[in-house]
Amino acid sequence: MKKMHHLQIEAGQIGKFVIMPGDPGRCHLIAEHFENPRLIAQSREYITYTGKYKGLMVSVTSTGMGCPSAAIALEELIMAGAKCLVRLGTTGALQKNINLGDIIIPTSAVRLEGTSVEYIPIEFPAVADIDVVAALIRATQEKNMKSHIGIIMSHDAFYKGSIFADPDFLKREQVWIDSNVLSVENESSALFTIGYLRKVKVGTILTAVANHLTQKVINDEEKINPIFHQMTDLCLEAFKNMKEE
Amino acid sequence: MEQVQYHIKCKKGEVNKAVLLPGDIERADYIGTKFFRDSKNIVENREFHIYNGSYEDKPVAVCSTGIGCMSAAVAIEELTNIGCKYFIRVGTCGSLSSEINPGDIIIATGAVRGDGASKEYIPIEYPAVADYRVVTALRNRTKKKNTDYGLGIIRTHDAFYMESPFAFGDYKKRVAIWAKAGTLAIENESSILFIIGSLRKIQVGTILVAAGNLITGKKNTKDELQKSVDEAITIAAGALVDLQEEEEEKI
Repeated sequence: MKKMHHLQIEAGQIGKFVIMPGDPGRCHLIAEHFENPRLIAQSREYITYTGKYKGLMVSVTSTGMGCPSAAIALEELIMAGAKCLVRLGTTGALQKNINLGDIIIPTSAVRLEGTSVEYIPIEFPAVADIDVVAALIRATQEKNMKSHIGIIMSHDAFYKGSIFADPDFLKREQVWIDSNVLSVENESSALFTIGYLRKVKVGTILTAVANHLTQKVINDEEKINPIFHQMTDLCLEAFKNMKEE
Repeated sequence: MEQVQYHIKCKKGEVNKAVLLPGDIERADYIGTKFFRDSKNIVENREFHIYNGSYEDKPVAVCSTGIGCMSAAVAIEELTNIGCKYFIRVGTCGSLSSEINPGDIIIATGAVRGDGASKEYIPIEYPAVADYRVVTALRNRTKKKNTDYGLGIIRTHDAFYMESPFAFGDYKKRVAIWAKAGTLAIENESSILFIIGSLRKIQVGTILVAAGNLITGKKNTKDELQKSVDEAITIAAGALVDLQEEEEEKI
């Protein structure tokens, strides 16, 4: 069987349901939630594990940072048989009512990146799959957790749009703050766009690790990891619900 | 906002807060008089015909938008100014998918922003996305009827005589890129309605009936089309009922 060019995985080695963190360092943490997790491949920023969750074959593959590497991961995962994929990651909040550690479930994303424009003109909307959005919302509600649901923004230049960017970053972000964009991250718009074009289901679940307005930030991995465990549980429950429907 | 709105000639409290938005004036009259109980004609000004009424014992309204995003934006802005909150566009479209035949129902999750008006509101990278609660309400009502439907992204644009079976030149070539991308259909108002929905935090969705298929050239007879439009109207009115009940449960 042919190995995918970057991911070094083969068709059949992954489940139809895949979790996609940005950071390869978080794959093992997510794989802890699988029964019998198996390391499938490790290549560049891409690490893949496959295991089972309540009888369902599931995988985790990191995307690396940014839409160029995320698009490669998604394309190769689809070629290897993935049908339903959820990005799981961190984000910087753009609204005052979003606290650090809060969960965000995007319905769609501003396409402020270069990758998706190579696929389809910019007027095409980057929309998350509505079944994935509904399953993630249901999973949070079943655990009595709150989430923020709405539009996020995906962009390419971290040092132009983050609390570590040059000081006038808020001026550049004002248009998105005013248009009720919940938060900023780096991968979802290309994932949503490509997902729609390839007819697979793609969604995202994020946690706010910074707020651009209050300039507060969580740096401590020990504070972030428990939230990642929580989000992994939500993702896997969402997969299970979708499988049953 | 106590003042009378410039185009729709209504003020706060005069239009029920859950509104159907057909493009066609005559369709607004049809919905107001044939589908609503205790129907009352509120306004007839320019392309805006507004009726209040009740559906399944809930207050609802209908307002025509006219053709195109320019007048649709005026309608939804002014209705929002006077307190309206739930909007469902119900209209016809041209199918771009070989799987969607004339008479089939389409529920939009998002729209290609091929229009001019939405660019005045917010940069083009911003997504025209339907409110997920409205999409869910429309799906639930459609499922209850056991009706098949298409679900996905549609294309909104401004120039009918560039992208329709009546268009000049090779319209199939112009729409090919969108058909290939899995865009289900073409119409003229949803993108601006979705954009204003996100900007003003109101709930907006769209349900459409394919009047014809731009790729296969298939068309519906007028009677067949009317039957599907009637079904879309009852689904949309039912969704407006469910959306209001959902809010009441939260309070």
